[in-house]
Amino acid sequence: MIRRAVAIAGIGQTGYAKALEPTAWELAVEAVLAACADAGVDVADVDGMCRFTAPFETVSEAMLVRALGIRELSFFAQAPHGGEALGAVVAHAAAAVSAGLANVVVVYRALSQSKGGRFGRADRGAADRSADIVVPEQDNLSFAWPYGLMSPGQLFALWTRRYAAVHGLTDEDLTRTLGTIAITQRQYANTNPAAMMRDRKLDWDTYRGARMISEPLRLFDLCLENDGACAFVITSAATARALRADPVYVLSATQTLSPYREPMGIYTGGEMLELFPPAAADRLFGQAGVTRQDIDVAELYDATSYMTLRSLESYGFAAGGAGWRYVLEQGTGPDSPLPVNTHGGHLSEAYLHGMNGILEAVRQLRGTAANQVSDAEIALVGAPAGSATILAR
Amino acid sequence: MTELTAPYWQAASEGRLVIQECQSCGRLTHPPLPACPRCHGRDLGWREVSGTGTVYTYTVVRHPTHFAFADQIPYAIALVELTEGPWLTTGITGCDPTEVHAGMPVRATFRQVTDTVTLPYFEPAP
Repeated sequence: MIRRAVAIAGIGQTGYAKALEPTAWELAVEAVLAACADAGVDVADVDGMCRFTAPFETVSEAMLVRALGIRELSFFAQAPHGGEALGAVVAHAAAAVSAGLANVVVVYRALSQSKGGRFGRADRGAADRSADIVVPEQDNLSFAWPYGLMSPGQLFALWTRRYAAVHGLTDEDLTRTLGTIAITQRQYANTNPAAMMRDRKLDWDTYRGARMISEPLRLFDLCLENDGACAFVITSAATARALRADPVYVLSATQTLSPYREPMGIYTGGEMLELFPPAAADRLFGQAGVTRQDIDVAELYDATSYMTLRSLESYGFAAGGAGWRYVLEQGTGPDSPLPVNTHGGHLSEAYLHGMNGILEAVRQLRGTAANQVSDAEIALVGAPAGSATILAR
Repeated sequence: MTELTAPYWQAASEGRLVIQECQSCGRLTHPPLPACPRCHGRDLGWREVSGTGTVYTYTVVRHPTHFAFADQIPYAIALVELTEGPWLTTGITGCDPTEVHAGMPVRATFRQVTDTVTLPYFEPAP
């Protein structure tokens, strides 16, 4: 049981921009130092690290241990599946601290898409135009890539179309739903000084007029591509309380994997709309000892606007198939029943594989967010296939 | 292409659509697996299927994410549910991409894309 046994004692981030001068390694160093300073711990005392696997994370814990002069790590772990590592890195760090494997665990994510290749491009790093395109070595890719199904945006376009077909949405219903999400998140970003889209307004004419990338997803339905880094420090609850007056406690953290429910999997068994195993959602809330109604603010992983919609259903804030009406009737803005992606999300703050959502949840629970939800006590941060964490002040 | 998937591509180059079949329990599995997930049988073969099915879902790609597809924009990609049950990721050809829709009946057609590779595509069924 990790409920309230561990806490986030510090958070740190770099600036976010389409292209930053520093390398991913330098950005990671900056974010980790900021998180340790925020926690009030000496970086030399860090004894655990958790991160996303390569190729997503290019900065290894060994590189950071060297660069930061850390004495020794007694625990380090990596979580796969890109954004679905979101709950896992928290779970691993919390488990390590609970089990006494480490006392001060840093979780980090550093991205340099300007130097390392954009995630929206399938041809990043491709040296020549003939090799490996037609039938790549990986079994599942080999059935998708030859047809030009190569990017997350295209995959989620397939899912979005299926959602609309099953639940009877017209193209206009879908446009209004996804547009509401994109525009609401942009409005949050417009009042978030850290957001890349802080000064860029998005109105309905601009949203509707934007070019289709992979139908039915338009430009503004897809996340930003950028450079930047995030980090946070997990310690025991007692240590966190000694360090600061407002630690943010981990109530639960989940990862989940079942056959054909693989994150970003193209082949999904049965109905592809039900990626999130219901048992994982129940485990997430059950271990936290809270209900859906207790959640004050949610930061939902949004590589596309559709994922915000689908996650509202996955986590049980709306019934299956009813998420789109919920978005149109209740919205996700500051005055809605559940403010969502209050930093602007991946669509409008920056894309950090969900880590910036964790940092935003911590700020909300400390009462220091740019778009503060009044008296926020409990927050959910989650990815669409069920990797999530519930945090509380 | 791997040892596991080679029979699929070999059949495609001969204009046949085949799906992995468990010789013990008859389960059809795609993409192929090293063991049958239902009975754990290791005697796995390939069954030639009808090549007919329906579009389960689709998207029309209007922005290429790879230079190899830049000259094919716009193109339709789809998940097709075969009459025999399994799903295939594929492309839809033989009609304007904007005509593709969920539930559309389709049938396999084969397109040779390199000297050694032929891809099963699907086209509207008459």
